[in-house]
Amino acid sequence: MKKSYILGILLIGIAIAAIVSMYGDASTYEDFEAAADHPNKEFHVVGTLNREKEKYYNPQKDPNFFTFYMIDERGNESKVVYHNPEPADFDRSEKIVIVGKMNGQEFEASKILLKCPSKYTDNQVKT
Amino acid sequence: MNEVVFLNEHLFWGNLGHSAVVVSFISSIMASLSWFFQEKNPLDKSWQKLATWSFQVHSLSVLTIIFSLFYIIYNHYFEYHYAWQHSSRDLPVHFMISCFWEGQEGSFLLWIFWQMVIGQILIRTAKDWKAPVMAVIMLSQVALTSMLLGIKVFGYKLGSSPFELLRNVMVDAPIFKQADYLSKVKDGNGLNPLLQNYWMVIHPPTLFFGFATTVVPFAYVIAALWRKSFDEWLKPTLPWALVSVMVLGAGIIMGGFWAYESLSFGGYWAWDPVENASLVPWLILIAAVHVMLIYKSTGNSLIVAKVLTLATFVLVLYATFLTRSGILGNSSVHSFTDLGMSGQLLVFLLIFVVLSIVLMAIRWKGLPRSAKDEDVYTREFWMFIGSLLLVISSFQVILTTSIPVFNKVFSANLAPPADVIAHYNKWQLPIAVLIAILTAVAQLLKYKKNPENAWKKIAMHAGISAVLTPVLYFAFGLEVWLYALLLFASIYAIISNSVLLVPFLTGKIKLAGASVAHIGFGVLLIGVLISSANKKVISINETGQALNPEFSSRENVENIFLERGKPSKMGDYIITYVKDSQHWVNTYYQVNYQKLNSKGEVDYSFNLYPNGQINPKFGLVANPDTRHYLSHDVFTYVSSVPSQKGEAKFVNKKEHLVKPGDTIYTNNAWIILVGVNTNANPEDLDARNLKVLLGAELKVHTLDKAYDAMPMYGVQDNQAVSYDALVDEAKLKFSFTGVHPESGKISIETSEKDSSGDFVIMKAIVFPWINLVWGGTIIMIIGFMIAIIRRIGEFKRLAS
Repeated sequence: MKKSYILGILLIGIAIAAIVSMYGDASTYEDFEAAADHPNKEFHVVGTLNREKEKYYNPQKDPNFFTFYMIDERGNESKVVYHNPEPADFDRSEKIVIVGKMNGQEFEASKILLKCPSKYTDNQVKT
Repeated sequence: MNEVVFLNEHLFWGNLGHSAVVVSFISSIMASLSWFFQEKNPLDKSWQKLATWSFQVHSLSVLTIIFSLFYIIYNHYFEYHYAWQHSSRDLPVHFMISCFWEGQEGSFLLWIFWQMVIGQILIRTAKDWKAPVMAVIMLSQVALTSMLLGIKVFGYKLGSSPFELLRNVMVDAPIFKQADYLSKVKDGNGLNPLLQNYWMVIHPPTLFFGFATTVVPFAYVIAALWRKSFDEWLKPTLPWALVSVMVLGAGIIMGGFWAYESLSFGGYWAWDPVENASLVPWLILIAAVHVMLIYKSTGNSLIVAKVLTLATFVLVLYATFLTRSGILGNSSVHSFTDLGMSGQLLVFLLIFVVLSIVLMAIRWKGLPRSAKDEDVYTREFWMFIGSLLLVISSFQVILTTSIPVFNKVFSANLAPPADVIAHYNKWQLPIAVLIAILTAVAQLLKYKKNPENAWKKIAMHAGISAVLTPVLYFAFGLEVWLYALLLFASIYAIISNSVLLVPFLTGKIKLAGASVAHIGFGVLLIGVLISSANKKVISINETGQALNPEFSSRENVENIFLERGKPSKMGDYIITYVKDSQHWVNTYYQVNYQKLNSKGEVDYSFNLYPNGQINPKFGLVANPDTRHYLSHDVFTYVSSVPSQKGEAKFVNKKEHLVKPGDTIYTNNAWIILVGVNTNANPEDLDARNLKVLLGAELKVHTLDKAYDAMPMYGVQDNQAVSYDALVDEAKLKFSFTGVHPESGKISIETSEKDSSGDFVIMKAIVFPWINLVWGGTIIMIIGFMIAIIRRIGEFKRLAS
């Protein structure tokens, strides 16, 4: 057999492996309920800040402890713990994407992405 | 309904710009078609004439668009949406240039501009390839200029014009019912604070020049397929491909440097989709260049060379589609606005994909391929394997980056991996090891046939590297065995290519491009390895206090609380937040670092000024500050500041009766009253009817420094007035509250500033040997440059 055929087969094999690995490592967008069912798996949860409940950040006491309550897209609510300072502009966020896993009753977020549509599309003239 | 006649608008510039867009679009169609017919009818030179004329009109109109848009931004004509959205009055001129490409329309314009410049170079140098190559390039120019049209065609809005008026974008806003609405639009939205950085002035033009150059090798391959030419395309294509590799590479690393210097994620690469999208075409192009060289030396692998070259440009278009169609949505921090052009972008992409595939398919049978089996003992074989590895590397990156596309196409629900870095490293690290080893092995071998002793050299260099690896492994303090492999591979690449470089140093430096570029690659890999494997977050509270009981796992505690003026120990440093100061819109936080040596004594100290912009639209936008040393960087940024700094509170008020020469003691300083000044300068004060003005000359000594202060006392309208003096560094305020002529004494009141609400939350990271990342890249770019000079020389000799 020609070496180029062997290379071709190898290449296809590696490509399949890359696809499998992508699929295996990919997280999914879930709600809090699904996250609670698989407490050791990391998920992306999309939702909004519950502005009625208090968020907590007291840097004098612990600069790496921030909690708030979030409502996911299905309407479930959960307390979220984030071991970092409160992200800038958190209050103005319209949508929040948190990445992390459920730990008992709390969702431990390792990443918070904020969507503030005002950033680029604030089409309001200030006078 | 009456038509409102709006006042004070500058419609001329918008009309000029918009007409220029339309002219540039039509003239690019004309030029593309004329060159196409020129190629079909080589004897009829009138096509050539028409094409050149159209192209010159096109170039002129592109310059007009740019000039009009810049004129509008420069003069703050906020009746234009683009100027209003991306600029503001307070911006200095160099940032106005960045406004130019903050928006999508401006960045397309930048691309159009470079492609036009490239066209101008090609019509002078491409000789007999001019017609087919320019036909392809102008086709791409047609697609790009259509993005700026902003004209409705059969109900579909084609492109988005940068000359759209504010009142037409926001038709419903009541303000636009008024004729003099412009007098109410006082200022624009301003430039995103993250882009207010010098690197943002130079990085986008470089990157877009890189993107624009990829069309040239593409056009040559298309032209060669069209003409059924096998060999002749290579010599003109190689220098262009190398220019593309160099510029795109420089653009990517500048983006990394900008991210490192001005973003607060702490690093130069985050595997963000936007970064990946520019990395992938670059890797494929490097693979393409290697395969072109194989073809040049051996006549093999022509098809792969062509496919990879075509793929490079197609991937640039795919990257454009990914980053500009809004499809990335939640998965990228770079949120580009969706201008509703995703359909148009997709058509743009498909035109060139279909063109490539169809031409390849038509010519497939006639393309030469080698019948005999490849010989393993040759440079070309291992170069080919290396190129395949680059392809695999890009495939893996683009696959994971495309997750949002799969979601759209297959209605899946996938999100990017939770630990993106681990996911990419798992693949890219072993690939990097193999590629680095191959740069050594393939370079030591020769094309076609090799003498037996080539393998001896390969083994010997590997042996030397294997001996050096553990030495450096322990010297750098690495701890993962896989890193030892990468270290070995990088050392191997550096050693072998350095040995190969030596003979070139005497005169034939022109031939050394490959060796130099590969050495740079090796250095870059070591830099990436050490700076990320040994990156250390040092802002960890070591005093043990202030630990939250609710908080059990301590490992990801990465931010430290710094009260103003209160030193804290952090790693080998004593850090103190000294004070803040305001420059333009930014607040700079002075943080003092004292480096301790092993005995706990202060070795040296320095100040860092991380800054934050409390932006009304973006919240706190933090910019890091970095102290650069040869062997490491100390990187610091402010992750949070008190939301509102109220009026400063002063406590511990005390009154002291003193005469000149007396000393006052407070908690943090001792103060000597030097004298009482009777000719104090009242100029800065509200001095109406000021009768007497006395100044108390104070010398304020803190532990390490002395400051001057002069509180003042006077009589105004028959009332005593006192002017305070504040010594911020000593956190002391002085008031001159009275005179006692009978005893020759005066009253000085001291009070201490309460700084408990004055703090910053800060993160600090030490990056060891990050200079190797920049240094390696620069060496690589020098290597590309040498290679470009050599290949241009070959091309010129061919032409003459």
